[in-house]
Amino acid sequence: MQNTALKQDHKAVFFNAMKMSLKGPGPFQAAFWLVLILMTAFMLTLVGGLFLYGEWSAFLKVLQQPEFHYAMTFTLWTTLLSTMLAGMVAVPCGFILSRHNFPGKILVDTLIDIPIVLPPLVSGVALLILFGPVLGDALTRLGLDIVFSIRGVIVAQWFIATPFAVRTFKQAFDSIDPRLEKIARTLGYTPSEVFFKVTVPMAKKGLLGGLTMAWARTLGEFGATAMLAGIIRMKTETLAVAVFLNMSIGDMNFAMATSIIMLFLAMFLLAVFKTISRLEARA
Amino acid sequence: MNTLLEISGLHLNAGKFALKNINISMARSDYFMVLGPTGCGKTLLLETIAGLYMPAGGAIILQGRDITRLPPEQRSIGLAYQDSLLYPFLTVKENILFGSRGRGKAGDPQIRRHLEQLVEAMNISGLLDRYPAGLSGGERQRVSLARAIVKRPPLLLLDEPLSALDPRTRGAMQELLRQIHLREGLGIIHVTHDFTEAMQLGTCMAVLKNGAIEQRGAPCDIFFHPATVYVAGFLQGENLLAGTILTINGRRWFRQDNGPLLFGPLPLDCGAAIADNPGSQKRKMLIRAGNLRLGRQPPESANSISWTASVSRIALNRTHADVYCHGSGNWQASLSLARWRELQLSAGERVNLWVNPENLHIIPEN
Repeated sequence: MQNTALKQDHKAVFFNAMKMSLKGPGPFQAAFWLVLILMTAFMLTLVGGLFLYGEWSAFLKVLQQPEFHYAMTFTLWTTLLSTMLAGMVAVPCGFILSRHNFPGKILVDTLIDIPIVLPPLVSGVALLILFGPVLGDALTRLGLDIVFSIRGVIVAQWFIATPFAVRTFKQAFDSIDPRLEKIARTLGYTPSEVFFKVTVPMAKKGLLGGLTMAWARTLGEFGATAMLAGIIRMKTETLAVAVFLNMSIGDMNFAMATSIIMLFLAMFLLAVFKTISRLEARA
Repeated sequence: MNTLLEISGLHLNAGKFALKNINISMARSDYFMVLGPTGCGKTLLLETIAGLYMPAGGAIILQGRDITRLPPEQRSIGLAYQDSLLYPFLTVKENILFGSRGRGKAGDPQIRRHLEQLVEAMNISGLLDRYPAGLSGGERQRVSLARAIVKRPPLLLLDEPLSALDPRTRGAMQELLRQIHLREGLGIIHVTHDFTEAMQLGTCMAVLKNGAIEQRGAPCDIFFHPATVYVAGFLQGENLLAGTILTINGRRWFRQDNGPLLFGPLPLDCGAAIADNPGSQKRKMLIRAGNLRLGRQPPESANSISWTASVSRIALNRTHADVYCHGSGNWQASLSLARWRELQLSAGERVNLWVNPENLHIIPEN
């Protein structure tokens, strides 16, 4: 008896909610909806415009050019390498910042974040000064020139991506209850075993998400790369550099085709990131 | 006594908080309860024993071996926390064997056999291939216990293992803990803020205050004879009176401050505590609700101290009735349900209250 009464009560609540939503949103909510719809329309037009402006035949022709092939493969391997390097730096940095308190932590945290707030162009100038006048001679003697070289591209991408990786990795480590690690210690694991058998599996999704976002950053990197590695056709020519280079000499078709490819890459990475974060939210 | 764990003069600094001069000695047959409010250092004490924090001073001896400086992975001490933290990416079975897997002992027949026994005793055999996300609170807690003891550590540390469970599961879990303690033959240190739990499970008990042990002893003894006002308060000492110690004809008496009552003669073991503090004769006296008698007629024994009061409120519990009275102060008496039904009390009624002198407890320190 009591149970049916409870069920009826639930039904009443449900129907009330239905009625409320049938009435439609008030003016306040309607205004918010309007803004969201306009924003979505703007984004669709933006992407659509890129497709409509370019010609399909010209697009296919660009895809066959050696310069495009170079830019494409060069971008993929440099960004993957710089993302890996960023990850390797971000794991210890993120872990220490997440697990420990030490004097000057805020200062260290701020220093690491600098590339996030600094315009990439300025980052590029700073890197150019460091690897040029400051360390340039020493590096030349070692045969490790950075300025105006392929290495410069990787350094610039790594520099821009690392703080994003540190930030997301720190959040991933923060979300783990440290007591899970403590239990593993009492079960016989050394600190390094705990890290690889508990911390990393627990933070896996956060780490993957962080790497994806860092990779997306490196793919779009232009300012710092241009300053440190220069804009050299078929040498330091990433996709972003290729867009700029061909835009400036008036090859619109090349610039358009490259832009569309980059758009697809970015959307793909974003989709991967969203999937990972959804999986994480469900776990 | 066959000593399992001997902690002497343990000090630990953890930021602003510190553990101060902790001394604990327990046998394998002991179920040691550490009782204290949130933030008194209970968890920190357990984690220090487990080796997760290095003490600044003192020694921890486990089975005759000095483990003060050993890292946790070499101590073989089991640990389970309140919210039964399991590894979400492992199945129940993998969770239980987590400590053995890493050591290449998963195939160890002894551990296998023990796993089977534990799974049977804890009634988790149906869960072995499931992931922790789908388990209930009680199931999770049983799995985390199995994980902590599958390698047969001599000592098990429990951090509020019952607090996150609903009352019915808690009862079953308490019984399981008692059985584990007896059957597995391991010593248990169990930390809690719930003194009922401590009374029900513990064979010995320590009350912690701000990182130091305030009192140590048998649970029953601490319950009836708290050493400080803090302990009395934490154990919900019901009738705590302020008063003065008087000496009349060579015997000591306690005069209530804000009322006419004179209690005594005080039991002789109270005298030592008073003599130790000759300065102030201002004291607190405790009469546990179970020791305060209540009836319509005055007591038969002439030794009892008796007075009248009126019933203000009656609160029924599962096993007893708490009767709150007013008259020469406020009083709380516990009656068995049978006694309560026999008396048929109602609020506003005049009753006699009395207490036998041997049940008066003077708190030695303020």
